[in-house]
Amino acid sequence: MTRRPIRLALLLALGACTEQATAPGVCPDYCPGGQISVVDTIFADMIVRDSAFSGYREASQGAGLGVADVPGMIDSRAIFQLNGSVPPRVTNRPAPDTSTVPITIDSARLRFNIIRRDTASKNLWVKVYRLPLGLDSTTTFGQVVPAFTDSIVDSVNVSALLASPEITDTVTLRIWGDTIQTDSAGHVVQVGADSTLILFFHFDTTQARYVAADSGRVAYGVRVAADTLASIGLGSVESDRSATLKWFYTYPDTNAAPVQVTAERAATFDTFVFSPSTPPIDSNLAVGGAPAARSLLRVAIPEILRDSADVVRATLILVPVGPVAGAASDSFTIVAEPVVADLGAKSPLSTSSSFFSAKTIHLNVADTVRMEMTDLIRAWALDTAATTAFMLLQTAEAATYAQIRFYSTRTPAFRPALHITYVRRYAFGTP
Amino acid sequence: MTRASLVLLTAFGALALAAPTSVRAQDSQFGIRGLGTPGRGESVRARATGGAFAPFDPYSPLLDASIADVRRVTASVTGGTSWRTVDFGTQSNSLRGARFPAFLIAGPISPRLVISGGFSTYLDRSFGVTTRDTIDVRGNPEPVTDEVTSDGAVTDLRIALAARVHKNLALGFALHGLTGSTQVTAIRRFDDSTTYRTSNARDEVAYHGLGGSASALFDLNADLRVAAWARSDTHLRADIRGRTVADDDLPFSFGGGVRWRPGTEAAFAAAVAWRSWAGAGLNAHDTFNWSLGTELGSLVSPLRLGVRGGQLAFGPGPKAPTEFGISAGLGKQFSGGRGRLDFGLERLERKGGSGVTERVWTFLLGLTVRP
Repeated sequence: MTRRPIRLALLLALGACTEQATAPGVCPDYCPGGQISVVDTIFADMIVRDSAFSGYREASQGAGLGVADVPGMIDSRAIFQLNGSVPPRVTNRPAPDTSTVPITIDSARLRFNIIRRDTASKNLWVKVYRLPLGLDSTTTFGQVVPAFTDSIVDSVNVSALLASPEITDTVTLRIWGDTIQTDSAGHVVQVGADSTLILFFHFDTTQARYVAADSGRVAYGVRVAADTLASIGLGSVESDRSATLKWFYTYPDTNAAPVQVTAERAATFDTFVFSPSTPPIDSNLAVGGAPAARSLLRVAIPEILRDSADVVRATLILVPVGPVAGAASDSFTIVAEPVVADLGAKSPLSTSSSFFSAKTIHLNVADTVRMEMTDLIRAWALDTAATTAFMLLQTAEAATYAQIRFYSTRTPAFRPALHITYVRRYAFGTP
Repeated sequence: MTRASLVLLTAFGALALAAPTSVRAQDSQFGIRGLGTPGRGESVRARATGGAFAPFDPYSPLLDASIADVRRVTASVTGGTSWRTVDFGTQSNSLRGARFPAFLIAGPISPRLVISGGFSTYLDRSFGVTTRDTIDVRGNPEPVTDEVTSDGAVTDLRIALAARVHKNLALGFALHGLTGSTQVTAIRRFDDSTTYRTSNARDEVAYHGLGGSASALFDLNADLRVAAWARSDTHLRADIRGRTVADDDLPFSFGGGVRWRPGTEAAFAAAVAWRSWAGAGLNAHDTFNWSLGTELGSLVSPLRLGVRGGQLAFGPGPKAPTEFGISAGLGKQFSGGRGRLDFGLERLERKGGSGVTERVWTFLLGLTVRP
């Protein structure tokens, strides 16, 4: 025998050191005796304790201002106060003249952002009212109702405005930076990149009412009306999309024509008020609304899920006490976020977004809410040291009046439950 | 203690530590539904002769008395690579695997007494099975793919003593420790992976058992040698994390063989073996196996041929699956007889219930060293 065949054989042996041991099975004769079996069970008692807490965020701290008018259900209005700092007198020109001269208000332009609306809404009217100064987080719906009754400043049919032709000439583009749509009353609307409507109202001095003592501080309120689906959301201070007011005024120049000046002022405070107000927390689980409510649910992982099963799907089942009243097309999102430690109302929320689950709640619908929580329950089943509790909260808290309430563990027939699909531990070791 | 004895003891220690995780034999689909696929306990030399020379080959861990004539410390290792085709009616699958089914070291500890140790595959438990199904979950049909795999083996750790008690008679005894483990997984994947997570169960199954064997070699004359052996194994206990999940009876086995060496360059052998596997749980059958083989040419570079047949220990149905194989091989001594390389090629065909046929090509490589 020469060395060549030996080397060849050795190479062959080395080269063949790869495994392919898996093949489609012909069961049951040529498959292992164990079965991968799936069990589907509703664990009615896995949610062991739950609590609802309110006051996490006030309406004035929300990322939006909910405005709606659904007769018999909800009447929500945005109110905001704009910064003044427009001095009634300015230094005379030319310098170094130190005497002052009064400014002459020419007009003002109010701008606000409609960040949410229903495109199916017909004859959507947005109405602006003048409100008394002094708005703050304690301002109630009842306190501003009189002003909303007799102090209308302007109104615009947004549906009609959006139906008007786009103005695309170069002069318009230079002034406005983009195409605009306008009506005969001078209202202007621009559509932002994210479909936000930027609405402009042009006020004369009667509408704007510059009060020298207040240095131009003003407050306005916004209502909506529509044939259907009268509900919008306005941008707020917290979302950096607050309303602004640009004053146009002049003051004299001794040696020249009057000086034309503009001063744009942003909102210093905004909120929304609504009626009927959110009822106080009761024995049910409240989520959302303004002030924002959250519910803490504590979970007891059964031994079977820790030792003998692998969870493949877990669904939280929540039964609403009733439908959330509001505009038919409106919705909001609630999320379940695990807590790092169970400290009741002040439980810190986890930042592991992979364990969050979300569900969109449609108004005026009382369907059972199901939230997929598979990853979270799987993680808890593997970690005996984890805090097995989660908080239900609304995303963009305090941006809407809508609050949903679910039955709690105190209502046994409708208590929260977990629908869990799991794979039983495989019977290894037996043929 | 002689240097050779020291080498032997050291080698035994190393083997005891290393063996259980490294040894596996050729597997088979027929063993999936049973305890596994029994190993052969044959060196490449014996395997190339269809197993007929195994009772007379000191480097085949079958018959303990055969080591009685080992006069120098010798180590032997067997490796093999298999290509398998499994036909289930119209469905055919190709599989492959590389194995090291046997290692043996032996040497004299006194002029009459020889000790041997090593490991070989007792039961191979390496397989993987995938199945497709549609199950009903939450009232909806959900297509799933299941994959169950097992990777490992039960190893036969053997310590044997043999002595030539008479010029015509050698006796041998051995203790067998059965040990080993398998890494097992069971995975269920849902086609709708967005809604359903993959279930992945993993574990390690540890196996334990004991056995004992005795054997004898008797020379009827200068050319004719007969062999007989018997072995009894107790139970095979399967533990998962310290908890016993199965305890199966292991077989009593016995067999014999005859070798005729009419000249210096020709030898013929035949062997039979019977094993009472039927008590080893579901789908188990008693087996009878036979083999015929020859070794032709000089001891320096012999040519080997063999044929074998018999039954497999596990398989569905009331009848044991059958096996038939032919084999051939070559040997080559080097370094003045201090080393030897053996090559073998085996073709097996197994037939069992449900019309399943398994065809296997196995390439074998063995190395024997006398330091």
